[in-house]
Amino acid sequence: MFRDKKQWSFFAYLLMAVVLFLMLGARLFYLQIVKGDYYRGLSSQNHIRVINSPAPRGLISDRNGVILADSRPSFIVSAVPSEFDSSKIAQVAILLDIEEEALSGILSEASSVPHRPVVLRESMSVEHVSSIAENIYRIPGILIDVAPLRRYHRPEDFCHIIGYVGLTDNPESFRGEITGKTGIELSMNEVLQGKPGLQREVVDAMGRIVEEYRGTESEEPIPGKNVILTVDAELQRIAMEQLNETGLSGAVIVINYENGEILCAASSPSFDPNMFSRGISRDEWNTLLADSANPLFCRAWAAAYPPASTFKIVTAYWLLAEGLIDVTTMPAPCYGSLTLGDTEFGCWTSHGRLNIVQALAQSCDVFFYRTSELGTLDALAEYARYFGFGSSLTEVLPNERNGLVPDEDYLNSTYGSEGWGLGNLLNVSIGQGELLATPLQMAAMAGVIASRGRIPRPRIVMQQEESEPFFPAEAINNSAFDIVTDGMLQTVISPKGTLKRVFADFPWDFWGKTGTAECTGETHAIIVGFVREPLPVTICVILEHGGHGSSAAGPVARDVLLSYFEGSD
Amino acid sequence: MIDLLGRDRPDIVLLSSLIVLFLIGMASIYSASTVVSESDLFGKQVVWSVFGIFAFLAGSMISFRRLEEISPLVFVSICLLLLLTIFIGRGPANRWIIIGPLHLQSSEIAKAGLILVTAWWLSSLKVRPRKFGEALVFITIIPAVVLTAVQPDLGTAVSMLLIVLAMFVWAGYGLGWIILLVSPILAAVSSMNIFFWIGFMLLLSIILYKRRYPVPIWIAFIGGNSIVAALTPIAWNMLETYQQSRLITFLNPANDPHGSGWNIIQSEVSVGSGGFSGQGFLQGAQKELAFLPARHTDFVFSVWAEETGFVGCMLLLTAFFLLFWRITVTARKSVNPFNSLVTAGIGAYVAIHVFVNIGMTLGIMPVTGLPLPFISYGGSQLVTVLFLMGLVLNAGMYWREV
Repeated sequence: MFRDKKQWSFFAYLLMAVVLFLMLGARLFYLQIVKGDYYRGLSSQNHIRVINSPAPRGLISDRNGVILADSRPSFIVSAVPSEFDSSKIAQVAILLDIEEEALSGILSEASSVPHRPVVLRESMSVEHVSSIAENIYRIPGILIDVAPLRRYHRPEDFCHIIGYVGLTDNPESFRGEITGKTGIELSMNEVLQGKPGLQREVVDAMGRIVEEYRGTESEEPIPGKNVILTVDAELQRIAMEQLNETGLSGAVIVINYENGEILCAASSPSFDPNMFSRGISRDEWNTLLADSANPLFCRAWAAAYPPASTFKIVTAYWLLAEGLIDVTTMPAPCYGSLTLGDTEFGCWTSHGRLNIVQALAQSCDVFFYRTSELGTLDALAEYARYFGFGSSLTEVLPNERNGLVPDEDYLNSTYGSEGWGLGNLLNVSIGQGELLATPLQMAAMAGVIASRGRIPRPRIVMQQEESEPFFPAEAINNSAFDIVTDGMLQTVISPKGTLKRVFADFPWDFWGKTGTAECTGETHAIIVGFVREPLPVTICVILEHGGHGSSAAGPVARDVLLSYFEGSD
Repeated sequence: MIDLLGRDRPDIVLLSSLIVLFLIGMASIYSASTVVSESDLFGKQVVWSVFGIFAFLAGSMISFRRLEEISPLVFVSICLLLLLTIFIGRGPANRWIIIGPLHLQSSEIAKAGLILVTAWWLSSLKVRPRKFGEALVFITIIPAVVLTAVQPDLGTAVSMLLIVLAMFVWAGYGLGWIILLVSPILAAVSSMNIFFWIGFMLLLSIILYKRRYPVPIWIAFIGGNSIVAALTPIAWNMLETYQQSRLITFLNPANDPHGSGWNIIQSEVSVGSGGFSGQGFLQGAQKELAFLPARHTDFVFSVWAEETGFVGCMLLLTAFFLLFWRITVTARKSVNPFNSLVTAGIGAYVAIHVFVNIGMTLGIMPVTGLPLPFISYGGSQLVTVLFLMGLVLNAGMYWREV
């Protein structure tokens, strides 16, 4: 069979090869003989230039349609190294108002890819660019393009959430293409950017367009899509105002605990992202970097702090849900400290005998030392993770920190299995020690209590779907939720509650917990809490080195909520 | 013609077209390397050529019977080499294994192993047919194809499949049989356009009718392919836009992200500007101005075309055609099925590479990283292809051996 078929296969092979080789020959004949002169002309005098037209970048707005970021036209000037006459450098430098050395530096760097235009100056106004436009015929290889300039309308309020854009450093992209560098601009870049259009032009040695290239069709740009944030610009403004009044670095987070929408994520101090879109100068950049308060740093989710006493919410829930204590348990009284070995674990005053509700309301450390001894560090760490600690909560916030939940493995690898003991558990039980959490995580923690474990993962982009609750359903214990909720209410309404004085005139019920985080220097002031009326929201305020949670952070939380609710009536 | 050892003289046409192509390759790389800032490309290629000549001699002297015995072993080692590339691969797209000064492109070597193992399988099926034997051949070669595709080097993976299909044709399997075999892929592709789809269904029906298949087979092929075609757009639309574009980039990594087709346009201008007689050796303007991409590797043909014009291109194409013709003649006269299949596979290898690579530089084929045999810079490819040519010469001399 093989030998009979081989004759057939032999001719099939040869026939196929003849057809393929004839196709190549015909194409070569067309390119080299028929169109040879055209291509030789292109090759010797003219070049093909690819002209990209930028796609309009999508808008970013808040939940009520307030425009936060849009684009306005501006101009960029670029040069094609292979067409540019280097004797004109001085002239161009004067026209563009940049230094001659800087200009020749840009050009020599770009000369390795001579056909690709390199940006000389970006974000120029019409007035400025017109002087170049008048002289362009004298300077071959210079191009002027329209490039949309990103404009931020509430720059200081939203600089950390939205971030900023800049020229892309992707070598494959065209001149002047912008891309998100931080924030939502970065994480939603693929949605916002669209697709640039392109056409090909044949240009002569002077950079004049001879004709449109005949060969491939041009493509229209496809605009980027808009992004709607869950944030309320009004609340964000109020929160920034309140933060700035304190003069401290800090953050305010407000989340709707029924649907997980982040209504406010303010971080102070802030900066003006418009500096970046118009091209930041070296001086401005150095000033930003030199600022010891680090305004580029987002404290709402990129910073992690010890949650301090606010973490007692988690410890209390763990103790109750695991049955280690109940609402009637009253351990030995608090005399102001507890001695373990030769270390003294202090409390901030002597509280006497307390139950769990009073211990939460008065934030007694000794109560939690005495009760946490009954459990293990790993069990507490497990509950901390249920409440959202130890891993980032969202996917779209760039640089969101995980925080840190120390468990036995972690301590073993850090200190060795002999290097730590019960003291570490006691420290973690009151939110100190190695424990670290972002303000976003702390607000979500209060949201878990408010929603009885049903708060979805926080989200900041409207178009994202509501996600599943992060608190595991099997860990829900309604009586434990009741008791912790009561403790947070007593914090505000009982005579000895840490927030009694702050929320005395607050017209709605508030459930809260304060924290005062030990650190080098003055303590960080923290408050977490929630309201059910008029809106189901949970709040976290943190003030770096602000002093006490009740006296420093508490009033900020109250004033933010008060002016927001009263304003939106 | 026949000497004392019972062998023919070496095929003079084959040898001379080989020498012509080799010289064209060296000249093109020399010309391209004058503008590539990278270290001594021409010198490296000369060194590789010395290795290549040894590989050629080895190929021409090896015993085909021994080669047949070790074919499966060769294939397994090549799969391991491909697997190793995935873990320790370096260079562009992680396709190279780097051992000291040696840069190995394992997918090039893999093609030789693929030809050997396919020939081994098909010739053993001739002697002793098995149920589903053809399927076994495909199952055997799939690891090499998949490992190449995930490098990612889809162009090479597709060329591997085409070589294997061509060897099936040589082994006497009808074209209809092969179309049935690849019908799911055709179904997925043709689902993009209703006319393609109608044409494909007609073709399928004609094949099924001509081969007199029973009704269940009809149902399986028509139904199965309809399901594949119906699911393709659904699966495609379920992907997010960015996933689609990632998939497209994966399928065609050589495509530049902004779709400006810069490489192809510059290559066409280069080739076209060569005109009838070319701009003269070392005189190519496009090459000189660095407009031409990958001048010494994928687009080396454009350098040759620009500098020697239509005349030079015809010389090159004629040499390739003569080479292919002699390979096919050798394959036809070989008595032993294994020898015949190996030689036919090598012929398919040459034809596919020549058409895909030159077609790419002329803008009639998509951009894939397939090199032009003998001409493109690259040691692994040169040594492999010269070894294969040695095998062809060998098969031609000992064609009477059973």
